[in-house]
Amino acid sequence: MNTVLSVENLSTYFKTDKGIAKAVENVSFSLNKGEMLGLIGESGCGKTTVAQSILRLIEYPGKVVSGRVLLNGRDLIKASEKELSSMRWKEISVIPQSAMNALNPIFTIGDQIMESILLHENVSKREALQRTKTLLELVGIDGERWRSYPHEFSGGMKQRVAIAMALACNPKLVISDESTTGLDVLTQAQVIALIKSLQKKMDLSVILISHDLPMVTAICDKIAIMYAGNIVEWASTEDILKNPRHPYSQALLNASPDLSNPEKEVVSIPGSVPNLVDFPHSCRFHTRCPYAYDKCRQENPEFKEIKKGHYVACFLEEEGNHG
Amino acid sequence: MGKFIAGKLLQYLIVIFLMLTLNFLLPRLMPGNPLVFLAGEDVGFMSSAEKEAILDKYGLNDSILEQYGAYIKNIFTGDFGYSYQQKRPISELLMERLPWTMLLTGLGLVLSTVIGVMFGAISAWRRGTRTDANLLTVFMFLSAMPSFWVGMILVSIFSAQLGWLPVFGAESAWSNYTGMDRLIDIGKHLILPLATLILISVTSTFMIMRYSMLNVLGEDYIMMAKAKGVKEKVIKYKHAMRNALLPVATVFMLSLGFTLGGATVIETVFAYPGVGRLMFESVLSRDYPLIQATFLIITFSVVIANFLADLIYPLLDPKVGSRNG
Repeated sequence: MNTVLSVENLSTYFKTDKGIAKAVENVSFSLNKGEMLGLIGESGCGKTTVAQSILRLIEYPGKVVSGRVLLNGRDLIKASEKELSSMRWKEISVIPQSAMNALNPIFTIGDQIMESILLHENVSKREALQRTKTLLELVGIDGERWRSYPHEFSGGMKQRVAIAMALACNPKLVISDESTTGLDVLTQAQVIALIKSLQKKMDLSVILISHDLPMVTAICDKIAIMYAGNIVEWASTEDILKNPRHPYSQALLNASPDLSNPEKEVVSIPGSVPNLVDFPHSCRFHTRCPYAYDKCRQENPEFKEIKKGHYVACFLEEEGNHG
Repeated sequence: MGKFIAGKLLQYLIVIFLMLTLNFLLPRLMPGNPLVFLAGEDVGFMSSAEKEAILDKYGLNDSILEQYGAYIKNIFTGDFGYSYQQKRPISELLMERLPWTMLLTGLGLVLSTVIGVMFGAISAWRRGTRTDANLLTVFMFLSAMPSFWVGMILVSIFSAQLGWLPVFGAESAWSNYTGMDRLIDIGKHLILPLATLILISVTSTFMIMRYSMLNVLGEDYIMMAKAKGVKEKVIKYKHAMRNALLPVATVFMLSLGFTLGGATVIETVFAYPGVGRLMFESVLSRDYPLIQATFLIITFSVVIANFLADLIYPLLDPKVGSRNG
């Protein structure tokens, strides 16, 4: 298997009036070709910041302060604007958080899809238009509707357009950033199924950012669980479901309902997400962790591989006294 | 689209009718009497029969309804009547004044919009920087100055002190310039009033553009354009500015309606022979027909500008057209 994306010790901070908010700290994970990784966590835990850091879209007052993002061996963080422009969309694209606002209201959707094709590939306008129509058909929209403006589409269709646009230049990696938020459950399921089928068909690597654990476990090969700016556990979906190691992962699983087991009691996690401004050097989950002890309050646990492909950041693993 | 235009036209016809009526009533509700201006100083020595004769001559003794009927009939035959005070046909007066007003306010509107849009976009693009702060300060300062004061300051500097530019009027009287010389002469007379007009009106466009551009720059589609690898310049001009211009276009169209009304204060300060000053004079002298005519010009041009805006807006914003058409 060859690695498409490898994120190493990525940290992104935001300057705020109250101090430095460490929105993403020491995040590491990687993604193989044709793999689908679910990046999951509560709202505000830094999922989108990770996506934007990878895409180099972080703007003042935010800054990627350290780390590497290797896309097919090239570091996106160090890339010049020119290199970046040529890599964008050709190699990495995004299906944005809310497609409702991600399409420019004054251009037709055809224009917007064509723009990305014409920008990156040396093709005639006609050819680009032909490809745009094919792309629209691919996501289940009549190709002749390329002349329509975004407001003439429903939310679900706009989302499909956004998917078509993301695939316009045959990227190797697609980041889907909560792209089903704001859609009704049925449409959500359709869109997710569409992403999954396209991923299979085109052998894409996909990072699926979501807070919907059951959905992610249903379709992703691997799952990375984020909490307050850290990835606390990263493993195959099977390992996460059967053998979650981090207390937060366990709590998260307990907090989601299970359709196959309606008897299961849903337990919420007590406490709330800590303020990330000037966060002390400690495990970020210690305030809500039932197993926390002195060491958790003084040091930040390392993100370690405990068995092949299963990474956890928790002191309980070292001590071997897991509860 | 045809149905859309027909519907709009009907709306505007109603508006015009209401405006015509209001316009007729307004001067008659004002205190004061036109007799003094009709007859001049002599009015004190006139017998009541003589006064009646004058009022009769101008139709002012007819019932209000009769006056109203005559007024409507005259408007639709293009006859605005005689100015009581200037003793000349009003259409002739208007034809004399309109070109100057259009030159001054039309050019002023276009230039202040272009300048405001440019700097507004720059300011928003560099939000939070020194450039942004400096531009904001300058434009806020400009908007805080009263127009007559700016005009007088400019006159005292460039005309009185330096002697570079003429003090008043639209062109030199009795100069008999022709061709290029006349154009240059008109240009020289235009500079100061035009500058004043731009200085005091540019801030509103600047503020609207800056705010609108800031909003647009925060939109997801701008970030998407960036993620797509679109060049910064293209993002700025194609993706951001086109969207940010929509509110500016609305304000532009609204102001366009008022251009034919002239810029009363500035035209007065510079003794510029525009419609604004004509209106000012007509109000001072209770010159009913002239007041009505100048107000009417404004009414019609506002209505026409709005109608134009209705036609043009769908071209700028696809959302507007499809819903109605």
